[in-house]
Amino acid sequence: MNIVFLLIPLGMGLLAAAVVALFWAVNSGQYDDLEDAGRAVLDPEDGQPPSELRVERKQG
Amino acid sequence: MCLGRWTAAASARVEDSFMEHAAAATVSSVARASWSAHGVSHTVFTIDGMRCAACSRAVTKAVSALAGVERISVNVATARAAVDWDPHEVALKKILDAVTETGFKPLPLAGEAAVSVQRAEHRLALKRIGLAGLGMMQTMMFVYCIFAAGGHGIDPGIAQYLKLAGLLIATPVLVYSGAPFFSGALRDLRRRAPGMDVPVALALLIAYAASVVNTFRGAGEIYFDSVTMFIFFLLAGRFVEMSVRQRNLSATEALARSLPATVARIAKDGSTKRVDLGSIEKGDLLSIAKGAVIPVDALLASGEAVVDESLLTGESVSVTKQLDQQLLGGSINAGHPIRVIAMGCASQSMLASIVGLLERTQAERPSIVRTVDGVASWFVLLTLTLATAAGVFWFFAEPARALPAALAVLVVTCPCALSLATPAAMAAATARLARLGLLVTRPDALERLARVDVVVVDKTGTVTRGMPVVELQDIRQGYPGPLAFQIAAALESASDHPIALAFRKHASRAREASALKEFAGRGVEGCIDGALWRLGTCHFVKELLQAPGVDLSGLSNDPGTGIALGNSEGIVATFALTDGLRPGALRAVEQLRGMGLKVAIASGDQQEVVDEVARQLGVQEAVGRLTPQAKLSLVQQCESAGTRVLMVGDGINDGPVLAAASVSCAMAQGSAVAQAAADLLLLNDSLGTLAEAIYTARQMRAVIRQNLAWALVYNLGAVPLAALGWIAPWVAAIGMSTSSLLVVLNAARLARPPGASQ
Repeated sequence: MNIVFLLIPLGMGLLAAAVVALFWAVNSGQYDDLEDAGRAVLDPEDGQPPSELRVERKQG
Repeated sequence: MCLGRWTAAASARVEDSFMEHAAAATVSSVARASWSAHGVSHTVFTIDGMRCAACSRAVTKAVSALAGVERISVNVATARAAVDWDPHEVALKKILDAVTETGFKPLPLAGEAAVSVQRAEHRLALKRIGLAGLGMMQTMMFVYCIFAAGGHGIDPGIAQYLKLAGLLIATPVLVYSGAPFFSGALRDLRRRAPGMDVPVALALLIAYAASVVNTFRGAGEIYFDSVTMFIFFLLAGRFVEMSVRQRNLSATEALARSLPATVARIAKDGSTKRVDLGSIEKGDLLSIAKGAVIPVDALLASGEAVVDESLLTGESVSVTKQLDQQLLGGSINAGHPIRVIAMGCASQSMLASIVGLLERTQAERPSIVRTVDGVASWFVLLTLTLATAAGVFWFFAEPARALPAALAVLVVTCPCALSLATPAAMAAATARLARLGLLVTRPDALERLARVDVVVVDKTGTVTRGMPVVELQDIRQGYPGPLAFQIAAALESASDHPIALAFRKHASRAREASALKEFAGRGVEGCIDGALWRLGTCHFVKELLQAPGVDLSGLSNDPGTGIALGNSEGIVATFALTDGLRPGALRAVEQLRGMGLKVAIASGDQQEVVDEVARQLGVQEAVGRLTPQAKLSLVQQCESAGTRVLMVGDGINDGPVLAAASVSCAMAQGSAVAQAAADLLLLNDSLGTLAEAIYTARQMRAVIRQNLAWALVYNLGAVPLAALGWIAPWVAAIGMSTSSLLVVLNAARLARPPGASQ
């Protein structure tokens, strides 16, 4: 059973790592806006289409 | 326990820095959201940390104690306050300071400061929930090991080790994630008004302290898992509830946010430059791209435009506008790029009026809410008493169960479901109606709308288009019809009566008329090509006859409601006036009748005209020739007989009549929105919206009843069970969170987009 004395600190270390990762993700703004980011790809004003697409459109 | 704004206690860091750097900015930006009328300024702002009835009472008390404050109303559900104050007697800064002193934070409604504070609080809440969730899973494992081992004998060393590990995890969760409960409870205690946080904070402290003592004593139960679970479930419940509530509110924000920050202005030399929305002035020439929002009320300066006004009127079909026609700020240019001339700055637009009205409504607290809030605050005291009683009872009966039972009672009670039941439903219903194009200007109106028995409509402009159309009814044998129209148009050329406008539309070629005279209520007279002509009632025209009684026209003598045109030789032609029904009016009347409502018409127009409209609509009760006083006494009669009347009028001239009815609805367009004094403002022409509104109001009443019933059943059922020790503390936390969530989600059904319910 002595392995418990090692595993529990290990588990708590993992917990600490998870908390640090979550805080980092939140602080870097990844959860600020969950809706608009998904919609952004559909925004026609957002940048130019890739060059090869533009060529195709001209031909069509 | 109230699941109000989880943002309650933003970390001291955010709060301090915000208050220091932005105190001055707050005053100025709140001031920007104010408007004045008759020497009284009206201001709406957001109050952060607003969670329960006690909170709003504290703010109301503090602010209304100031000299110069005429009225304040604070709405818990929307966390908004509306203040009427006299700028000569009190400064806005003093009002905001008074709010700050009560421990809450006044914030401007929108703007950079509010957005950045909101974002900081959103992040903080997520981190708190995340830490509590992760900590909860871990402590649960440790504590479960000890439970599972039970009497089978776990090595005491290992048990102690697990307990210490639990302590190590529960402490940061309590301090970091549980902070909102403690700061909330402290604030309540300082104000001596126990709010919803007090029982929870107490439960957390007792459970944690008992566990720490038992850990070091080496005997007795530990509750670290309960502590972390309380915090996680309560925080998560608050978070979800807050999101739902903000979604319900977003109608206003959608309107306000639909405006672009910058606009392309075309300078005199033809160059285009993007400028701030705020710097747009009357007369500026603006360029609007396809799909862009028209930022201010404007006149179309180029060709034809197709615009989508759905944000303002709820009308989803795009409208085509011609050169020089007015475009509403907030509508979307659905067609080609256009140029427009601004008719005023952004704050003068119809959109600004609508947003202002909505914000005022959402800041007000209807009377039912006040009653329920009073009950809810007693509830907290009752909870504390019951928890103590349960603890004492079990301490003597079975000491091991004393603590869990007391904890369960503290956590399981949910006066919040009671406090939120009504305002959450009202906010959702208001938001939905705003999307349909109906503004609710007084929060009590929805409750009254649900109980209406009779809908009385004012014919002109409500059921009909308000634009009469003239048709030739009868004409003397051989007389050219177009000539009759030309003569009539010439006679009407100086009048601005609606009938005159209808005639003028027909005049393709104008004739000259001189010596024009108008006879009120009878007609007009004038000289054309040397002959005297009259246009008006049959009797009026016949006065011109050279030999009385000799009519050479050969027309029937009774043109009915028609208008006669004639000279000294008799009547030449008669015209009929028809006033087209508004689109959908017939269907709306049928819908209203289908809902068990009586529809009646009370109009100032000719009885015959009113009868005709009533016949087309299938309305039984139609009274014409009513003076405003007669309309007023008619409505008063109905009201005193116990029938509740919804009066629909055009809102400008019929103020007293609208005021006499249970609920009033005005059809308002453009700038009239701000002036119309009615409980409801219909922004589109469709009467069908009214049927939908009454349906929504009835639904809202049902939802409020369900919510109140649920809150009562839940609390009356759960508290005794908890006191008897049949509810584990962690189940209590879930029950409490679910209970207030259920109330808010039930209310959110009302805000579903129109059509989804049909």
